Amino acid sequence: MSTTELTREDLATVSPGWWAVAVLTVVLLALAFAVEPGLFIDQAIGGLVYGMVLVLVTLGLSLILGLMGIVNFAHGAFFMLGAYLSYSVVVTLGLPFWAALILAPLVVGVVGVVLEMTVLRYLYGSDPIVSLLATFGLTMMIEEVIRAYWGTAPLEISRPAVLTRGTDLGVTTVPTYRLFLVGVAVVTILAVYLLISRTDFGLTVRAGVQDGEMTEFVGVNLPVRFTAMFFLGAALAGFAGVLYSAETGMRTTMGETFVILAFVVVVVGGVGSLFGSVVSGILIGVSAYLTPVVLTALAEVTNQPWLALQIRDLVPYLVMILILLYRPRGLFGEEGFLE
Amino acid sequence: MSGETATGEGSTETLDRARSLLWRYRVPVGLVLVVLLLRPVISHPLLLGYEAIAATILIWMVFVAAFNLLFGYAGLLSFGHAMFLGFGMYAAAIGVSGRAGAPELPFPVAAAIGIAVAATVGYLLGRLTVEKGEIYFAFLTLAVAQAVEFTANRNPLNLTGGSNGVTQNVLPSWVESTRGQLVVVLGGLEVDWYWFVSVVFLVAMLALWQIVRSPFGRSLVAIRENDDLARAMGIDTKRYKVQAFTVSAAFSALAGSVLMVDRYGASQETLSVITSGDTVLMAVLGGVRYFFGPIAGVFVWQFAEEFLNDFEVLHLGVTSVDLSGVLTHWHFFLGALFVVIVVVAPLEGIWGYLRDWARGLYARLKGVAE
Repeated sequence: MSTTELTREDLATVSPGWWAVAVLTVVLLALAFAVEPGLFIDQAIGGLVYGMVLVLVTLGLSLILGLMGIVNFAHGAFFMLGAYLSYSVVVTLGLPFWAALILAPLVVGVVGVVLEMTVLRYLYGSDPIVSLLATFGLTMMIEEVIRAYWGTAPLEISRPAVLTRGTDLGVTTVPTYRLFLVGVAVVTILAVYLLISRTDFGLTVRAGVQDGEMTEFVGVNLPVRFTAMFFLGAALAGFAGVLYSAETGMRTTMGETFVILAFVVVVVGGVGSLFGSVVSGILIGVSAYLTPVVLTALAEVTNQPWLALQIRDLVPYLVMILILLYRPRGLFGEEGFLE
Repeated sequence: MSGETATGEGSTETLDRARSLLWRYRVPVGLVLVVLLLRPVISHPLLLGYEAIAATILIWMVFVAAFNLLFGYAGLLSFGHAMFLGFGMYAAAIGVSGRAGAPELPFPVAAAIGIAVAATVGYLLGRLTVEKGEIYFAFLTLAVAQAVEFTANRNPLNLTGGSNGVTQNVLPSWVESTRGQLVVVLGGLEVDWYWFVSVVFLVAMLALWQIVRSPFGRSLVAIRENDDLARAMGIDTKRYKVQAFTVSAAFSALAGSVLMVDRYGASQETLSVITSGDTVLMAVLGGVRYFFGPIAGVFVWQFAEEFLNDFEVLHLGVTSVDLSGVLTHWHFFLGALFVVIVVVAPLEGIWGYLRDWARGLYARLKGVAE
């Protein structure tokens, strides 16, 4: 299963139509940049931050889906739990943000392991729809616990002092925290890739997916490794939750919003491809932030104010529908995976 | 054999025929019983103690049954079905109120527009997604529903009222609201809102029942059970699935338009993912393999919601045991129950258990009698 092969083998040959789209996109972006360079860079980095959070959330989802065949709807709840736990660590316990960055994902990982061992373990090999339903029930439970413990009002934590200052980028100044987030995310994504593709652990898990029985014959304790994978996936979601909530705060709707977005990213990137998830996460994040800028620039240039639609929240879904129309399998998807 | 019985025991044969007729038409009979019993039962002081919720429950039954045509019969899990309910709701509300320069339309016309829009969206979305496999289908419907919710929230052309919804002048001229009770006035004849909803419920449910037991419905079951085999038998599986999606969307919008009157307007919450999730929960809770499954699921869910909310307000007794702290979080326990049902028997639900239990009881009684 090439969930683990970060290759570009599946790139389709580029047709003239796609060239036209690419050129048009570049022209529009250049136009938007020319009209307001500061805003453009600001939004591009905002989009990158958003995209990186999306990638981190999707990565865990994709790992669990690609390796274990579990459609984990509770992934958004893990993300949300990570965010709220960071509030407890920073505000209630009074520990620094860095502690939250480590503690919250660990706790979320443990919660994930508990759920895996009590519920999901019985669903391996069954219809993926059953795992979707079961994890949907788990989502309800986790979200209700969050509402019961932290309440429904939006919360926020303050970022560490080192990261609150701005970094001057010439045309604009961006909060250092955003650059930090992007850097941390890139390192994490690389680490996950190396873990899956280059370590014995990754190898045995992949082998277990291919042929579980044979892998156990050669002496690999598969259930333990699957549980470890689940820990990793849940912890990644929790980690993303901490990173994201330090930027925008915690809300009770963040879980459902992000789980849907993560599924959109998976569909656009192609189910079964980790590389596709990374590309499509960044693509969706950046396009969501840049589309309004481009539209505003267009409205200004053509003097048609109605063009300046604020459609940021809609862009991921529009991207998804477009991709599905022209490339139903997703950007890097494999044929026949979960179809 | 039958000749012998006819000469000897004519009365037994009439009884048998009556029984087989009753068995054959058990669904319509059951539906009528639901309508007749629902309101008196829930308004019993030991249960909810008030009857206003009965009409709402009937409307939800239509909606979840429409959803289940897709999930239980065609095997397609739509996680965004709230949008179809929303199309009916918003079209009716916008049409009747004539807000933001929209023409003021009679309720049936507005509802028909909503149903047509829902059916069209269902058809197009079906064309795009139906053959992509169950998981894809679930994500895609979820994502499109989310996009629809965002659009409504943006208040395009000032039509949807953003997060406030549409709540001004939304009652059709033939519906009057007196002391919180809806009354339908048709040519001097006053009918309780519940009976109007009952008629809609019976017509819609009978139509769904006919669809389910028609060759079309049987084909859907064949597709659900084995897609490849169905195709090999000559069933155009994609066309059937798209049609099932279209029909399901249309009936959902019908439920939405009636729900609009019942709730005095269209609300943004109805469009949310939570509503879509609740729909799935209600269907699975009741049992997706049975026609009466969704009906049972809606009843249990809505009843639990009302009952527990009421409980919280009452603070029973002089000591005022404040159960609200626990009961406001009833979603947690419902989620747990749902997980158990899904892990143990995802397709049976409450109705499946009731059926098994009734069968067992019947067999035991028969054993005792003999």
